[in-house]
Amino acid sequence: MKISFLLHNAYGIGGTITTTFNLAQTLARRHEVEIISVLRHRELPTFVLDPRVSLRSLVDLREDKEHPSHLRPARVFPRSEYRYGQYSELTDQRIAEALATTDADAVIGTRPGLNVHLAREAPGHVARVGQEHLTLDKHSPRLRTALRRAYRGLDVLTTVTEADAASYRRRMRLPGVRVEALPNSVPDPVLPPADGSAKVVVAAGRLVGLKRYDLLVEAFAAVAAKHPDWQLRIYGKGEEQDRLRRLITDLRLWNNVFLMGPAAPMEAEWVKGSIGAATSDFEPFGMTIVEAMRCGLPVVSTDCPHGPAEIIADGVDGRLVPVGDRDALAAALLELVGDDELRRRMSRAALENARRFAPEPVVEQAEGLIAEAVAARRAGRPVVRGGQGAALSARGSAARDTALAAASGALRLVRKGRS
Amino acid sequence: MTTPRAGCAVDADGRITFEVPGAGGLRLLLRLRPKKGQPEEDLHVLDLLAPDSADEGRAQAVLGADPVLAEGRWDVYLLQGTERTRLRPGPRDLRALMDGQLRERRGPLAVRVPYATKDGFLAVRTWLRPAHAEVGPVDVTDRTLTIAARLHGSPLAEGARVELRLRRDNDVTRTLEPQVRADGHAFSYTVDDTLDLDRDPGIWDMFLRPAPGAAPIRLARLLDDVADRKEVFVYPGAVVGGAVVRPYYTVDNDLSLEVKRAG
Repeated sequence: MKISFLLHNAYGIGGTITTTFNLAQTLARRHEVEIISVLRHRELPTFVLDPRVSLRSLVDLREDKEHPSHLRPARVFPRSEYRYGQYSELTDQRIAEALATTDADAVIGTRPGLNVHLAREAPGHVARVGQEHLTLDKHSPRLRTALRRAYRGLDVLTTVTEADAASYRRRMRLPGVRVEALPNSVPDPVLPPADGSAKVVVAAGRLVGLKRYDLLVEAFAAVAAKHPDWQLRIYGKGEEQDRLRRLITDLRLWNNVFLMGPAAPMEAEWVKGSIGAATSDFEPFGMTIVEAMRCGLPVVSTDCPHGPAEIIADGVDGRLVPVGDRDALAAALLELVGDDELRRRMSRAALENARRFAPEPVVEQAEGLIAEAVAARRAGRPVVRGGQGAALSARGSAARDTALAAASGALRLVRKGRS
Repeated sequence: MTTPRAGCAVDADGRITFEVPGAGGLRLLLRLRPKKGQPEEDLHVLDLLAPDSADEGRAQAVLGADPVLAEGRWDVYLLQGTERTRLRPGPRDLRALMDGQLRERRGPLAVRVPYATKDGFLAVRTWLRPAHAEVGPVDVTDRTLTIAARLHGSPLAEGARVELRLRRDNDVTRTLEPQVRADGHAFSYTVDDTLDLDRDPGIWDMFLRPAPGAAPIRLARLLDDVADRKEVFVYPGAVVGGAVVRPYYTVDNDLSLEVKRAG
């Protein structure tokens, strides 16, 4: 098969980019695979891409930034999408053109707005696989309303967790569309796993409020007080950097807690630690949890929706603690820091249990879904007969979202009128 | 286009094993980055060999612990005949460096930390010091700062002193007496208002004279995996007398004090 991915920006850093590269690379062992990056802002991608996967971009911001069409708003890419501000008439045109002229058997969209393009603009013979790396619950009612309409044009919709797939089936009526959970995969590590002896806790992610590194730093104060030879390393950059630095200073943790800056790939950094930490309020999947486990680190994570609980077996290969609970987080970290044997046992379990996220099992599932969609398109029939969900509750959700979207629109009007 | 990548692993003695896929039979060049406008002088060439004949796809070059590398930044190239290609970093396994502070060093100190340059190439940061005093925890209170460190090699002698030198005028110095722990190696010193640092704002470099008349040893933190410490190990300032004194690591991972008049 020829498979084409439609990606927001292949040149940045982020979970969707990593997981798309991983899937594309593994598929490329048996198929012809390309990644179309809608945007590009630098010469080379930050992450290394296997040369078997071809990469091209549609709008190169180094040249097209001031293009007249790029200064006009997008019409196809939905206004309620998170990245709307980065899209334009120019991206609308170039995405439409790329889809109209594609010679791929299947095109895979990797975010809501691109899935909308795919559902509306892909030629009839091309199989359409939409991927959701975020979750339905977190989409605004307006975006949900837009997607509810558009996603009927997809053949397959994948989410990253079972919990989110269940939400789509329950709340969206998508007749003929197969909705399945397809977890992110993490490549087989090239370095030997961590041996549990390093006195280092590692966390990685963008330094944004949602990741709650403030909670992690506060919890680590209890660890540093009892075990001053342990350190916490937080990798990543972002808007919270200065605030986190001040917190580290205020808590007098500058000898124990370090903001390491961004690191890609993280593998060599994970193996320097012996415990991973993930403290988000919300995590659609939890890529770094799997990465850490695949390097032999048990991970202490908040039990936030939706990913962590589908990855970590609490007390076996890591710990799940209530969201936002600093003391529970500190207690779980202290338990692992203070017990070498427990840490090593969980490390072995993490290595073993995280194998289900290796590229092979995940890509086999993806391949099956893509092949099914391609076969259905060729035969001119839907992938599944009828909807997979309960139509009644889906109808209720649709009405609620429409009402909520209208209400928020009215509110905006009122605010506008006032200003 | 594919720029070759080199992975590497470092052991506790500083031995570095580079691995460049598919580069068997070629050579690896390490070049001390010269100062701007200066010719390059220090070069090391290593053979890339398959570690075992069964696996021709792999190629390794080993930089043993023995060759003394001058202090600085070494760029890494793949050498094909005389043609150089600068290598990009693959995985760098530096875990053996993590507990470097716990190991006792003797004689001259040589440290090597492979790292990725800002523009995305592989390089090796090296330090070469005749003697070494490793900085440990830094305690900052409202009015003082206390720096703990450890002298490797010989213990501190009677009359050992810490010397602070104003960088813009080396004749301006302050001397203080370190508190030496029972083992004779661990010591600490406290910067307080008796030093009158507020009289001379600016950057102060810090040295240990381990015995009266001995050569000064620059205080530094070199014994782990962090090649560029400046933005990672960040300390707050303390109000010491009429000055705000903030310890910081220089681009060479040496510890200095930034002294500004409080105001």
